[in-house]
Amino acid sequence: MKKSNRTIAGKRTAVAYLVSAPSLVLIFLIVVFPILYTGYISLTNMNTYHWFDFRIIGLRNYERALLVFDSGFLSALLMTVIWTAVNMALQLIIAFLIANLLNVRHLPLRNVYKTILMFPWAMPGYVSILLWKTGMFNSEFGLLTQWMKELSGLTVRWLQNDLSAFICCTVVNLWLALPFMIMIMDGGLKSIDRSFYESATIDGAGSIRQAVFITLPCLKPIIGPSVMITLFTTFKQFDIIYLMTQQVGSQTGAHIHTIITYAYENAFITNNYGYSSAISIMIFVLLIVFAQTTKRRGKEADA
Amino acid sequence: MKMKTFRRVVSGVIINLFFIACCFLALLPILYALSVSLDAKGSLLSSDFSFIPKEFTLAHYIKVFTEEPVLLWFRNTMLLTAATVALAMATAVPAAYVFSRKRFAGRSVVLRILLLLYSFPSILSMFAIYKLMSAFGLVNTHIGLIIIYAGTMSVFALLNMKGYFDAIPVEIEEAGRIDGCSDLNIVTKIVLPLARPTLNVTGVMIVNFVWNEYIFSINFLTGSDRMTLASGLYSLQATETSGSWPMFAAASLVVSFPILVIFFLSQKHMISGLTSGGVKG
Repeated sequence: MKKSNRTIAGKRTAVAYLVSAPSLVLIFLIVVFPILYTGYISLTNMNTYHWFDFRIIGLRNYERALLVFDSGFLSALLMTVIWTAVNMALQLIIAFLIANLLNVRHLPLRNVYKTILMFPWAMPGYVSILLWKTGMFNSEFGLLTQWMKELSGLTVRWLQNDLSAFICCTVVNLWLALPFMIMIMDGGLKSIDRSFYESATIDGAGSIRQAVFITLPCLKPIIGPSVMITLFTTFKQFDIIYLMTQQVGSQTGAHIHTIITYAYENAFITNNYGYSSAISIMIFVLLIVFAQTTKRRGKEADA
Repeated sequence: MKMKTFRRVVSGVIINLFFIACCFLALLPILYALSVSLDAKGSLLSSDFSFIPKEFTLAHYIKVFTEEPVLLWFRNTMLLTAATVALAMATAVPAAYVFSRKRFAGRSVVLRILLLLYSFPSILSMFAIYKLMSAFGLVNTHIGLIIIYAGTMSVFALLNMKGYFDAIPVEIEEAGRIDGCSDLNIVTKIVLPLARPTLNVTGVMIVNFVWNEYIFSINFLTGSDRMTLASGLYSLQATETSGSWPMFAAASLVVSFPILVIFFLSQKHMISGLTSGGVKG
């Protein structure tokens, strides 16, 4: 009896793996193996000069990234943290304001506004970024450049220095990311029980007190998962900064790096494959730790 | 009382003005591209600024289709998208079902690993993937890109659909089994029809991913006859020294149009399909 149970369980396991094998093999080939291989390269000195005759150099790439202060990794990490903090703060505040205004009474054009505000989300991301780069910030035909010229007679090169390039990238990121956040908050606001506000009004609470003590606490659990998703995409942002300032052959002169653009530049522009792989592995570890801690904290909050 | 209605009218006007400004900002780059692409007068603004083209023309659009292989890029993109969706869905649907319904050795370990892999941006291992593909002779081929795209999206597809399968009550399947359905029949006749929303959303997400992906295709494909719309558009970019901004604007809008249509058709399902699935963070 016991034995047959075991064979049944064994057979069930075999069938399960047989059915999921195509997907798991595909994932192993394209996701797992490349990560393992990246881990291996990170221990070597592979670069343009050592393309075939690379050798294992241990953890020296990691040492260079973490201990050599001007290697660029630590400053890119700091930059990424600042980028994420600034963007998340602005995004949450602006989306909260707009979502609340979308929910005021007597707004007959509500749905028209909502549909139009969705456009930045609907556009393919890279197209929008390239349109912003050329159509808004380009020093010749950029709309903002031309407006500035009309106003002050100066040609502003928006993407040339670090601070203004950072601000431009932030503007583009907000433009791209706000629609999703507004939709999520709008959905959250709709789910809050109206009677809370009615009794608060009777008790004499003003609209700011209502926002702080009713809207925010009610909204938090509803928008939580979406905020986490956005936090991760902001932290992992590559497209905006790469396409705006670092495209091969048309670098704009600004040197703002997030950790991902930094890893990309070291692999595909300066061809320090070993070093870049070490950076990639560290980013992966960082993301895992980040994901695990936020998950644990989420669970504690639920309990 | 009069004071109150007056205040309401004023705040109504202010709110509407605010939203009109927001909508203008949301459409600004798109409107500007549209106006430039339809204007024969060239790309620079005159001092009496307006978004309405002075001399209406479709020449830039005609040029996009006649001077650049946009239709070929379109065909390539359609091909890549269809093949990727087919490959990813055909492999991920059975896997997601098994991981949701069956209990077997190693299941939870594999699921935990998949969750970890989900946070890995594929761009970080692009160099290793390049090496792998060149070992198989698949660099600069569409098959290579299809495998890469399908593999990259498989983790998301598997976890997202598994989450949805979890929410379908097992009792429905048990009822089918009592009525004499085989395992295969239960999946095709009961589970898949119930799972339509998640199949749609996962499919749309894969379409979106392939349509918007440029970094792998510019690094893995050479020669403009193999390019996708994304890498093609990338190569058409206008800078201060080269390229034509009105034509790039026209091409951008042409490329975006199908995605805009898909988006507004699927918008209702997108938010719930994304947030109710199994993947968070």
